[in-house]
Amino acid sequence: MPAKPSDPPRPTDAELEILTVLWSRGASTVRAVHEAIVRRKPTQYTTVLKLLQIMAEKGLVGRDEKQRAHIYSASRPAEWTRRQLASDLLQRAFGGSAKSLLLGALSSRRASRQELAELRQFLEEYEKGTP
Amino acid sequence: MNGLALWVHTPVAQAVGWALIHFLWEGAALAAVLAAALFLLRPASARARYAAACLILFAMPLAFAITLLVVLPGHAETVTAAHLPNPLARLSAVPAFQPAPAPRTFRDFLPWLAPCWFLGVAFFYARGLAAWLAARRLRQRGTCAPAPDWQDRLTQLCDRMRLLGPVRLLESCFTDAPVLVGYLRPVIFMPLGCLANLPAGQIECILIHELAHIRRHDYLVNLLQGFVEGLLFYHPAVWWASRMAREERENCCDDFVVEITGDARVYAATLAALEHRRAVALEAAVAATGGSLMKRIRRLLTEPQPAQASATPAFAAGLLLITFAAALAAWPAKPPARQIIPAVALQAPLLESQTIEPQSSPLTGALQESQIPQRQRTTFLGLMNPFAQSGTQTAPPAQRKGGDPTAQQALTTPYRKWLNEDVAYIITDEERAAFHRLQTDDEREHFIEQFWLRRDPTPGTPENEFREEHYRRIAYVNEHFSSRIPGWKTDRGRIYITYGPPDEIEDHSSGGSYQRPAVEGGGTTSTFPFQQWRYRFIEGIGTNVIIEFVDPTMSGEFHMTMDPSEKQALLAVKGLTPLEQTGITAARPAKTFRSDQDRRITIVTGGGSPSGNTASRLNTLVITPDPVAGRFHITAEVTTLGGQTVQVVAQNVLAEISGPFVEWLELPVGSYILRATITDPNLVSKSSETRFTVD
Repeated sequence: MPAKPSDPPRPTDAELEILTVLWSRGASTVRAVHEAIVRRKPTQYTTVLKLLQIMAEKGLVGRDEKQRAHIYSASRPAEWTRRQLASDLLQRAFGGSAKSLLLGALSSRRASRQELAELRQFLEEYEKGTP
Repeated sequence: MNGLALWVHTPVAQAVGWALIHFLWEGAALAAVLAAALFLLRPASARARYAAACLILFAMPLAFAITLLVVLPGHAETVTAAHLPNPLARLSAVPAFQPAPAPRTFRDFLPWLAPCWFLGVAFFYARGLAAWLAARRLRQRGTCAPAPDWQDRLTQLCDRMRLLGPVRLLESCFTDAPVLVGYLRPVIFMPLGCLANLPAGQIECILIHELAHIRRHDYLVNLLQGFVEGLLFYHPAVWWASRMAREERENCCDDFVVEITGDARVYAATLAALEHRRAVALEAAVAATGGSLMKRIRRLLTEPQPAQASATPAFAAGLLLITFAAALAAWPAKPPARQIIPAVALQAPLLESQTIEPQSSPLTGALQESQIPQRQRTTFLGLMNPFAQSGTQTAPPAQRKGGDPTAQQALTTPYRKWLNEDVAYIITDEERAAFHRLQTDDEREHFIEQFWLRRDPTPGTPENEFREEHYRRIAYVNEHFSSRIPGWKTDRGRIYITYGPPDEIEDHSSGGSYQRPAVEGGGTTSTFPFQQWRYRFIEGIGTNVIIEFVDPTMSGEFHMTMDPSEKQALLAVKGLTPLEQTGITAARPAKTFRSDQDRRITIVTGGGSPSGNTASRLNTLVITPDPVAGRFHITAEVTTLGGQTVQVVAQNVLAEISGPFVEWLELPVGSYILRATITDPNLVSKSSETRFTVD
């Protein structure tokens, strides 16, 4: 994806953390973002505020100033940023190899569309078979 | 290089080389044993199968180590005696015209196996290290703590499963499936949005699955597995056994979840929903070979399925035979050859029965069928909005199902219609903003799929009851509430689509007399057509919600009103109700006059005067545009019966489709004629005369 001039730059780790909160919770006030972040590590409210202001300048987040407490929202969906970060070589090298270590309910390999369709078909038949 | 060349000919290198060669057949034999064990243990629990896989997998490095030890002292002597003074000198001593005998070449190259193997091991261990670093990075980047109640819920589950250490729950933007990382300080990562969008019961299933991994120390076993894989990377049997162990491990955890929750169906739906979410989130081009999730779900819901015939054991067996032969040829005097004969004999019939296992045919049979839900989904998009094409009437549901494939070709418009018409009342502001940000149709399509998926009460099943109901409501309102404007755009349509059918409808569509309740002033009055809808409960609004719709224009278009007096045709005038309440003025009955030539013109007389001047009355003139006409121009005047102009109502006024043309007239008591000329967009004019009286 060629970067358009309007595309925001790659977020730093600290910015990514804030973005993650925004993606997870939806548009939020600085206070709400701070509350979420402080549960992981002690952070000053003003640090979060400052970061959000910088991010708004960079275009990483949008700011709704209609209400007294400004509401911030991620300007790009998580998937977009993930793809943007995936072009980071380091990230790619790491992301790929980590899979063998992770334990999850799903295998690291994605199911194809066809498999999904089969799956749905099977579940449907099963539901029919056992009312 | 010289040092390496020298080292290569030391007894250790020779021994490693032999051990590597010997492990070819040892690994194959062990894999054959595992294949047999798994075959025989088919009716047994996943736990037993997992134990078998682990046992064999860890027996492999053991076998390798033992071989190395056995080969090291004894064989080293032979090698030294045969080759070492100086093999290079021996080689050069061979006359040039005589080709070197094959066994000797093999023996000469054998020691070089060791450094190659070292390189390979180094590569795989480096990769393992990178994986470990990456997993650590996953903890640090792009994560956020979920809502506190989820962490509490997880702690409760830990207690229930008697897990000692603390387990953290984090949301991560880098995983697309729930994963567990870490052994001493385990963390469960959920993909973004999973916690918010999946039903709580399903999330609990996922958490139990991951906690089962922790309880069974799977993370540690998995690490060790990585070590074995790296150590004996060159043997497919190792990878195969490792894969079997991984598969059975997931099955063990699946069983655990079902044991605890007691509902395989919910869990199966959860897995399917997760996989579906992931596929929707990022379409990945994946080779469509063997769905392991399919196998797991089948296994969960039905009795244990026979293990699918796999090429790997057969391949391993072939490899075993070849290396066996090679080893015999190269090293005829050595005893290990004798040991393997029973192993081969044992495994041959078993392997045969394994490979003739029929392929499960439902898998392939489902292929053609499986396309159907897909196609339905995309056509949905194409016919998302039938409204806009016709302007007024929409196709009945039966027609909508059929769909027009060409409609899909239209760029962006189906998406705009989807946003502004189909889901206009139910989409949240955030979702709308997110949708506007999407740049390609692919992304939009994924968004739409996700949109419905998030609302699906039973994710994992092919039907999305929410979407079905939504489109049923749209079809219903378009069929029942359409007037000049399509049903979904009307107030009644909006309420019906948003809140569903009301629990009770009090219908006064024909207007007429209405017994007013005391709060509205009491007594009997004449009304415009109106309806009252009662909802027992609307989430976020309250219980026993009554919504009133009035059709003051008599056009069939009811609009929602908060003013209980609006339906009172004659009393809609400010200032009248108090008069009426005191009994000074009785309400005049409403009279409706319709033009003979043009049914679109309606005049309602009645009501009183705001000024209290009984000589003049307020009246309503309503001109309803033809359903097909867009804008139209109106010229209208009220004259006496003799033709004398009393009042010019409109002089070439442009009226929009968005509403009827309504004018209030204040006229003295008497008889009048309304002359109206309506010019439609095609410049066709129609004139009409309507006689009416004001009394």
